[in-house]
Amino acid sequence: MVSKRKSFLVLAFVFLFLVSIMAAGCGSTKPAATTTQGTSGGPAKVVNVGWSGPLSGGAAIYGQDTVEGLKMAVDEINGQGGITVSGQKYTINLITLDDQYMPNMTATNARRLRSENKVPVIFTPHAGGVYALQEFNLEEKFLIIAHSADPQIAERGNKLTFVAAPPFSGQPEPFSKVAMEKYGKKVALVPATHKYAKDWTTTFVSVWEKLGGQVTGNFAVDYNKETDFYTYVSKALATKPDVLFVGGPSKPTAMIIKQARQLGFKGGFILMDQARLEEMEKVVPLSDLTGCIGMMPLHKMPGPGVSKFVEDFKSKYNGKLPTFHHAGNYMAMKIVARGMEKAGTVDDAAKIFEGMKQIFPIKEVGFPYELTGINSNGSLQVEEAGVMVVDGKYGPPIPISVKK
Amino acid sequence: MDLFVQQLVNGLTLGSIYCLVALGLTLIYGIMEVPNFAHGHLYMIGAYVTLFSMTLYGLNYWLSSILAGIVLGIVGVLMERIVFHPLRHAPSSNKFIAAIGAMMFLEALARVLWGSDFRSMPAVYDQVVLIGGIRVTEQRIIVIVSAILLMLALNLFLKKTIIGSSIEATAQNREGAGQVGIDVNSVAMITFGIASFLAAVAAALAGPIFLVFPSMGALIIMKAFVIIVVGGMGSIPGAILGGYILGVTESMGATYVSTDYKDIVAFLVLILILAVKPTGLFAEGKR
Amino acid sequence: MVKKNVILKAGCFVLLIIALAVPYISPSPYFIQVISMSFIFAIAVYGLNLIEGYMGQLSLVQAGFFGIGAYMSGLLTLKLKMSFWLALPITSLATTFLALLIGLISFRTRGHYFVILTLCIGVVINLVIEKWEGLTGGVGGVIGIPKPSPLGPLSFDTIDKQYYLILAFLLLTIYVMYRIINSLVGRTFISIRNSEELAATLGINVMYNKLLAFGVSAFFTGMAGALYAAFIRFIGPDISSPILTFEFLLYLLVGGQATIAGPLVGTLLISGLTESLQFLKEYRLILFGALLVLIVKFFPWGIVGFVQLLTARNCKILTGKEGVSS
Repeated sequence: MVSKRKSFLVLAFVFLFLVSIMAAGCGSTKPAATTTQGTSGGPAKVVNVGWSGPLSGGAAIYGQDTVEGLKMAVDEINGQGGITVSGQKYTINLITLDDQYMPNMTATNARRLRSENKVPVIFTPHAGGVYALQEFNLEEKFLIIAHSADPQIAERGNKLTFVAAPPFSGQPEPFSKVAMEKYGKKVALVPATHKYAKDWTTTFVSVWEKLGGQVTGNFAVDYNKETDFYTYVSKALATKPDVLFVGGPSKPTAMIIKQARQLGFKGGFILMDQARLEEMEKVVPLSDLTGCIGMMPLHKMPGPGVSKFVEDFKSKYNGKLPTFHHAGNYMAMKIVARGMEKAGTVDDAAKIFEGMKQIFPIKEVGFPYELTGINSNGSLQVEEAGVMVVDGKYGPPIPISVKK
Repeated sequence: MDLFVQQLVNGLTLGSIYCLVALGLTLIYGIMEVPNFAHGHLYMIGAYVTLFSMTLYGLNYWLSSILAGIVLGIVGVLMERIVFHPLRHAPSSNKFIAAIGAMMFLEALARVLWGSDFRSMPAVYDQVVLIGGIRVTEQRIIVIVSAILLMLALNLFLKKTIIGSSIEATAQNREGAGQVGIDVNSVAMITFGIASFLAAVAAALAGPIFLVFPSMGALIIMKAFVIIVVGGMGSIPGAILGGYILGVTESMGATYVSTDYKDIVAFLVLILILAVKPTGLFAEGKR
Repeated sequence: MVKKNVILKAGCFVLLIIALAVPYISPSPYFIQVISMSFIFAIAVYGLNLIEGYMGQLSLVQAGFFGIGAYMSGLLTLKLKMSFWLALPITSLATTFLALLIGLISFRTRGHYFVILTLCIGVVINLVIEKWEGLTGGVGGVIGIPKPSPLGPLSFDTIDKQYYLILAFLLLTIYVMYRIINSLVGRTFISIRNSEELAATLGINVMYNKLLAFGVSAFFTGMAGALYAAFIRFIGPDISSPILTFEFLLYLLVGGQATIAGPLVGTLLISGLTESLQFLKEYRLILFGALLVLIVKFFPWGIVGFVQLLTARNCKILTGKEGVSS
């Protein structure tokens, strides 16, 4: 019995040890704004900005993309001497924490960013994390910047949530019209099974049917777990569709399209916006993607701002092409910085958010998209465009009307 | 009718891959009673080795596949030595835990070395062949035929060579094999080597059809376990039969039943079988 | 002996004081969040400890129980507006009941078959939670679960108060586990772990005892799930994934299976490491994977078991009781 009871003592020591370590860690809390030697005139202070997302596990690559976008904006801002808030210069310090895509870890990270680094805003690129944060961000007074097009985030009416990814709701209609005109009115669905894909599919089906189209069946498949899509595609093609609706992560989507062609499908494809043509090109040559209707690749976007952004990004990241995730986070960070300047505060999340709402519209060189404003739900309004691949080349832009 | 035959072919392609992975798993279990949870991750690493020897070193597809088999064979032997050999007398749950540890290690290693992104292997044999009304790519025919050839070769090896007979003897009776002068230690290493070779070659065969990514091993290992439990752990014919049955059931199930609950069905069948026969369907004797 | 008991009691007392004082030692919500999450997981790990550590049955369905606990309590409090204090016992009992059903099937198998079977059941639970959209919200999860409702004059609206609530449940868990282990029942469990055949010849009803351990294990794991739901207030199918079971296993193995302190020590240590080793990112899992392999090989009884070995005056007695059995 002694040995078992002794374990209590061991427990006591380990617990003491841990508590003291953590308490020490928390005791050394850095002040919100540390003074450093400024570049211009007076000393510049530092404002911390937080990010919690996946940096390990299957979604790590996505997390890294969003961080790269944020980093680029931060480096640009700091390179110009930082932001000026009520006459005081601040440089921005981005702190990134890994949450493994788990909502409970997002919550822990947010508490940490708030307690230790006093961040006024926290970026999170996944819906689960956003939901967990929305439970206490009003009490703890920080602004959530959600890079997720999940419509429920905005619908919850949280006053301190800024949805930085544009809603997808404008896309199905123009895409459907183009597909119907070129290929026909029968569509078979082979989308992914995650929540975003389901919401997209629901919206798409109602639009397709409203336009007089017919859905031959839903053959949803888990793009991340299924090893072979032949089975699903064969089944979908047996319903003789004119168009296939597909979409999930880009590369599996490309495989589905390739396999559909191998199985003899001659019609068109409508891509859910998670699948990006510029990524799919890496797996399947563009010539084999003929007939795909999806979002215009970022570097092909018309408008004054985009080419500068793409060039700057490529020179910063060894020739890597930026994606929509990079662009979205880059813009979000810049909007936050301008919001702070406008609001005249780097601490008060509510005022910063109010400031952010007053800086639109933004149409300028260096911004990949034209931004028209933030709507009443806290969602960013973006001018986007779609595209159809015709004979192995990108066709003209398909305008997407922004829903107010 | 066309759809039925098409799906049968799809199922056989899948089943061929399952067979090769499950064969290795069941061989290892038969010799060492190790439920090698990390076996699927050897398959995953095999896919990466094939991919890189093709894209980075410009080797042709067949050479890359064999190279992957040999490299993974060595990795398998190392794994046996480092992870499982020291645990040969440990309780069964400890072996399982070690296997889970090895699995976590390999997956994280792959993510660190090669990133989490999906990659695709260059498809060399991508032409579509029309047989009757059925469309198959050359690669899929290669998968089905190669799997059969490999299994025949394995059978010859086990029946006709001395090493092979030692493996069979050890599988039947470990103590007895030791007493008649078989070096059980070497047999264990060779078995691990062969099993890992099979996994890597399976990955090389599947690579051009599927995508290559770090968690691909975790998906296939669960199915391989279902197969060998149903087929009887340690039974070679059971693994082959089980592999094909699962592959065809999956594609038929997705076609004629629901695509949504397809995955659950395989596991429910396993639970049902073990509930009725706690030692598996074709178990020889008591475990 | 008397002296040892005094030291021990003093130690426990000090420990309790520290645990109670945590919100005053460091009022940082981050710190309290980390400790609270560790406590919740520790409760689940105690469940695993009972069935794997003391009974020697490696059950890999544990995250399934955790998920069922979280979903059931979350849905009862959110959809049916049930009080947390009613939902919690209902959830725990329901999880226990399910465990007994699962146990009736799975304890017919032994060794690796049992492990694989429980793993498959875990996968099925995970898949059902993910696919049964009408009930669980599917991959979207359940949003906006209410905080624990007030209990008389006690309310749980701040993170400090929730910490005390979780601490209370942790203490309850440890107490119950301690009593079980040091009772005849506990010794029966250990004897079954050491040799099922021997235990059966001694007239022990092996099946009954396995079911008992499994039921208690599920009770606490389900309870931990319910606490998780009320604390984080958003749940998704991920929390029932076998990957979480593997994490529990890591916590248990590091802390020390078949020890009373092991689950808490392991959970606190690994959570603490995860927080302080943030910069390691992907390398963290390489480390933990290797750690698992090394621990089963060199320290099958974890940190606590190792320290016990070091401090035990008479190693023979200790290893005789706690030693590695094969």
